[in-house]
Amino acid sequence: MDWECCWDKSTVTTSDCPNIGEGEEDLLQSQQRRILEKCCDCDRFKHDLARFRDSGNPLAPVLALINTEYRHQKNQIQSLVSFLDNKTLEVRFLHELGSVLQSSVDLDEVLSVALTAITAGKGFGMNRAFLLLFDRNRNLLYGHLAIGPRNYDEAWQAWNEISTTDMDLQTLAQNFRHKKLTTERAKFQDILKQMTFTLDNSDHIFAKTMDSNQPALIEDAFHHPDVDPELARLLGVDTFLLMPLISRNRRVGLIIADNCITHRRISEEDMRSLETFTFPVAFAIERASLYDRLQVELNRVTEAGKKLKEQQEQIVKMEKMALVGRITSSIAHSIRNPLMIIGGFARSVLKNTPETDPKRDFIESIVGEARQMEGVLDEILSYSDALYPAKDFWNVNQMVTATISETSDRLQALGCEISFVPGESLPAIFIDYKQVAYCLKTMIMSAIDGHKGGRIDIRTYGDGDQVIMHVSDTSVRLSQEDLDRLLVPFSTTLELGSGLGLALCKTILDKQGIAFNIRLLPDTGIDYTISFPTRKEE
Amino acid sequence: MSKLLVVDDEANIRLLYAEELAEEGYQVVTAASTAEAVEKLHMSEFDLVVLDIKLKNESGIDLLQKLVKERHDMPVILCSAFSCYKDDFSAWLADGYIVKSGDLTELKQEIARVLAKKAQRAKVGL
Repeated sequence: MDWECCWDKSTVTTSDCPNIGEGEEDLLQSQQRRILEKCCDCDRFKHDLARFRDSGNPLAPVLALINTEYRHQKNQIQSLVSFLDNKTLEVRFLHELGSVLQSSVDLDEVLSVALTAITAGKGFGMNRAFLLLFDRNRNLLYGHLAIGPRNYDEAWQAWNEISTTDMDLQTLAQNFRHKKLTTERAKFQDILKQMTFTLDNSDHIFAKTMDSNQPALIEDAFHHPDVDPELARLLGVDTFLLMPLISRNRRVGLIIADNCITHRRISEEDMRSLETFTFPVAFAIERASLYDRLQVELNRVTEAGKKLKEQQEQIVKMEKMALVGRITSSIAHSIRNPLMIIGGFARSVLKNTPETDPKRDFIESIVGEARQMEGVLDEILSYSDALYPAKDFWNVNQMVTATISETSDRLQALGCEISFVPGESLPAIFIDYKQVAYCLKTMIMSAIDGHKGGRIDIRTYGDGDQVIMHVSDTSVRLSQEDLDRLLVPFSTTLELGSGLGLALCKTILDKQGIAFNIRLLPDTGIDYTISFPTRKEE
Repeated sequence: MSKLLVVDDEANIRLLYAEELAEEGYQVVTAASTAEAVEKLHMSEFDLVVLDIKLKNESGIDLLQKLVKERHDMPVILCSAFSCYKDDFSAWLADGYIVKSGDLTELKQEIARVLAKKAQRAKVGL
């Protein structure tokens, strides 16, 4: 019998068998493999089988049965191989995804990876994905981020771009994070800001999905009994997938994915694939959120530590100052009695010394020097007193007016002009009146001491929670070096004399937590700015 | 002539006050401690006491409180090297407060003021 198929030939050429294609030339020499791989499916072989059956050979139906069963088994194996290939790809992808997610604690990066994985062609290939995060305090889900095209043109452009580049998931996610995260947020802002859903309503599809901790495929959304029509309208699709993000029984968020552009059917298989993906995503998001909170707490602790250190330094400084204060006070008091006796007796002797007595000059010197030393002692004692302010609420304008009035005689005598512009409706300031008035007096007296003419301008005004007093003194010219020295106790400058003066003012105001800034005005003088609190400190 | 009792633990200060106040026309008696002051106050009548606050191991404030309690008509002027006592409530019991200085003008003015006030009160029978 002449057979149509080449199954009976040990070797064939390509013209003998139409089923052997390029790259399969080895089958030309291997009869057994050719029969199993090609002949069983070949129409010529089927014709030969039919002819064999027609010949009445009892083996013919058996051979046909074996052939049919063989082809069936072969198809099943091919399906399984295809399924396994897909699963292998999926496992590889999930492994890649897991590696990327595990290596990041940055929330934006994790979210970029998650949403890129859902929408990337080599990932789950969905067209669009929304991420809603769970707000534990308010028990609601709110729109946080979305990814995907909004129309066909944009989709075509994006997919074309992706198809021309072969990027792995991490690169795709990094690309998204650095180049598109902000624009995607802005692009979906209108939808995201409408996506706030309370979970108090247990009938809502989101609440049900979160409660079940199972993904849900929503079909015919516009007529679905559990879907809020507003949500369906917002998404604009009738089929979408909901994936709850739950990590260790803690709600993290919800992903909504759909095929808004291609309208490709979402299968149960898609849903199951995505289900395996949600756990690492939820865990990574929770971890990144915790890391964010940890970072915030760490910053607060660092800040608190810094503040504590500053306060410790301040306490040490205050203790040193208190010690200095106690020592200076003790020394000053020990000196005051003998000084008083020297000065007192010198005065007594001076009174009884005739104007013509040549020794009178010496006695006058003793009286003068003793008076000057008593003045220095008063300043030193004021310095130690400054360490213990007694604060209350006072009217700043009244304090300035009273202080100007106290110094007016000396100001007039030296031809120094002074102006005061009081601020209107100022709140009371919380200060030690006596000490702050002393500071203002010191500033005025520093301006006029040893100088004739010049001008002092004082003004007060409100600034938020504070009241500002601004003193501008145009009677002196100082260098920055002189100014720095002036703020150190017991330093001297040629211009502003000796003693404590401004250093004492700074100590007094620092102690009361009042900001005191001194600024040199080029060629014109000094500017003092004092910011008074209007509330009791905590 | 008004009679003053000056209480101070410093001998030179007592001497200075005695000299200067005598020159002003006052009769001055001095005491170096509160015990001595109390004794002299019992022995004689005084118009005014000039009292130091820090007296070696004693406090002039204690004597002031005792005088206010037992001799409320006796004016007292506190005279101290410490200006801080000016803000002390206990010191407010005194009729006057002076920070010690080689220039006794302020002390003399204060004595004159307090004595005048005392005389006025006596005049109206208080």
